[in-house]
Amino acid sequence: MRLLLNGNEAAAHAARLARVEVLASYPITPAAPVMEKITQFIAEGSMKCNFVRVESDHSAMAAALGAAMAGARSFLITNSQGLAYMSEVLYHTSGLRQPVVMAVVNRALAAPHSRFPEHGDVVAQETCGWVQLFCENNQEVLDSLIQAFRLGEDEGVRLPVMVNYEGYIQSHTRETVDVPEQEAIDNFLPLVRRPVLDVNNPLAVNTVTGPELYMDYKYHQDAALQHAGEVLEEVSGAYARITGRDWGGAVSGYRLEDADIVLVAMGSLVSTARLAVDDLRAAGEKAGLLKIRLFRPFPAAAVRESLQAARAIIALDKNIVYGAGGALARELRAGLYGFPAAPVYSYILGLGGRDVGVEDLAGIYRQVSEQLGSGTAPAPYQWYGL
Amino acid sequence: MELIKTLAEVPEDELFTGGHGGCRGCGAALAVRQAMKVLGPRTIINIPASCMATIGGSGLTTAWKVPFYHSLFECAPAVASGIRAALDIQGIKDVNVVSWAGDAGTADIGFQSLTGAAERQENIIHVCYDNETYMNTGGQAGSVTPYQAITPDTPAGKPTPRKDMLAIMAAHHPPYLATASVAYPLDLMQKFQKAMAIQGFRYIHILAPCFRGWGIREDQTVQLARMAVECGLWQLYEEVDGRRRVTVVPERRIPVREYLRLQGRFKNMDEAAIQDLQDEVDRRFREVQS
Repeated sequence: MRLLLNGNEAAAHAARLARVEVLASYPITPAAPVMEKITQFIAEGSMKCNFVRVESDHSAMAAALGAAMAGARSFLITNSQGLAYMSEVLYHTSGLRQPVVMAVVNRALAAPHSRFPEHGDVVAQETCGWVQLFCENNQEVLDSLIQAFRLGEDEGVRLPVMVNYEGYIQSHTRETVDVPEQEAIDNFLPLVRRPVLDVNNPLAVNTVTGPELYMDYKYHQDAALQHAGEVLEEVSGAYARITGRDWGGAVSGYRLEDADIVLVAMGSLVSTARLAVDDLRAAGEKAGLLKIRLFRPFPAAAVRESLQAARAIIALDKNIVYGAGGALARELRAGLYGFPAAPVYSYILGLGGRDVGVEDLAGIYRQVSEQLGSGTAPAPYQWYGL
Repeated sequence: MELIKTLAEVPEDELFTGGHGGCRGCGAALAVRQAMKVLGPRTIINIPASCMATIGGSGLTTAWKVPFYHSLFECAPAVASGIRAALDIQGIKDVNVVSWAGDAGTADIGFQSLTGAAERQENIIHVCYDNETYMNTGGQAGSVTPYQAITPDTPAGKPTPRKDMLAIMAAHHPPYLATASVAYPLDLMQKFQKAMAIQGFRYIHILAPCFRGWGIREDQTVQLARMAVECGLWQLYEEVDGRRRVTVVPERRIPVREYLRLQGRFKNMDEAAIQDLQDEVDRRFREVQS
């Protein structure tokens, strides 16, 4: 069924199709309409789900975690300040290997106060041990959220998953979205309960752990997160077989085959960059695009393979790690280091909702092309659009 | 419901067993042991940062025989809310969902999630085991630490009085609210029995002395808990749908001075301050017992 949905509505439909059993969320702009839509689904009877109307984002994450530990499929939404407020519970959720799924409607962190989109909120949680997926449009929001449950619940993964899409640009913009049939999703996503808090099998969870055990738990957690990258390929393939839509697992290339200069981006910038690449190609440039769909675990091997023929790489970061640069540029450089690779030109742009259009990306491309021609080494990072 | 009336009727099974990591004379462990006798095996308990969260399990060993989760400091009632939501959707009934926090995890850092869960009338039991100080980090003062108590961060005595958590929780209009004391195990167990028979948000506040924090000997835990009731500072009552009933009328009344003077933490309290406290206790005693 094709519907005209904004990103938040697409997320709510994904929760409905995934038969989410517990929703625990606290309102925050611009993610709140997801919970409103789900509570509407519950009220009209199209979803059987318990909504825990918590008093804060911290409690939202705690309740979602408690529900998952007691065996329910649980879901929540947040962004920016709410995500930062949840931070310690994010670490509990991944450390306890609970497959909670969360839609993160990316928004800038204060101060100064902003309610507009960028990736600073999720980048600030890059070490929290969750799988982190990014979506370029509302169809991908719906599809990725459904895939996120299967990925997180995979027996070899057992980890929470964040699905990121940007405030307003995606959350409040309507697009045509194909909404799969319930039966197809039920087949794709069977419910397997693995409660850790079960009166028939009592366990003590998160007891005091000394140096003789802590590191081993962390080893297994990291191994599971790395494994999630492989499982995502399977999950994306299985989803493509039932819907015909293949989002390509961890990364996907666009007009990469003979590309000299490759734009690398996450989230809504990917859609913009596709158009820029088309325009540049029409003007005779050998431009290409690499979309990073999976940020954690970072798919370094797939990135290396995709970029091996490039002469220059442009990292587009809608975030700033203060004193270090863009998170994506840093990952690209680290992943390419030690291998024959092109230089990475790093751009910080679009923070706090500052608009980035097709012409901006084409302009950046030409800037890099000139620098490459003149043999100028890339700056550690530069701010675009000040 | 058959209330437990004698110690002979108390189940022998220990769901919080010996071998835990608590100190000898730990009031917190006593409270859990007594309550678990009644709560029984169909109980899921989560305890946020506190002595009680840590003494029941270490490495691969545990003293808990029911599902136990050591949750984060701020959010035990929120975790319990999520557990209840998950059990309900699966049709799992007859399970007690308990958040069990110290005075910090209840009245201070945990208060936001507690007031949220209480207002939503979550079908959980929240227990505050109150030793009137932050013992897990060395005994610093919190909002329910008494006036003039000496702690590591109030070396001259706490300058402000104790927050009235019972009044605060009563203002949420829970269907069941009670005070309890580790010195009165039958009263404590009966209150858990009553709480379990009621649906909705239930609040039980247990005075559970810590000998280290109070400056007493380890064999004085129960004695001091009893004297707190006898002097009138800690009154034992319950409120069902807001209707109060005193459950223990102390057989003897003692002056608060006797209770205070046994504790190292009140050694700076002068006679005038003690008399002020006595006046307040007498007023409050009349109010509750009437």
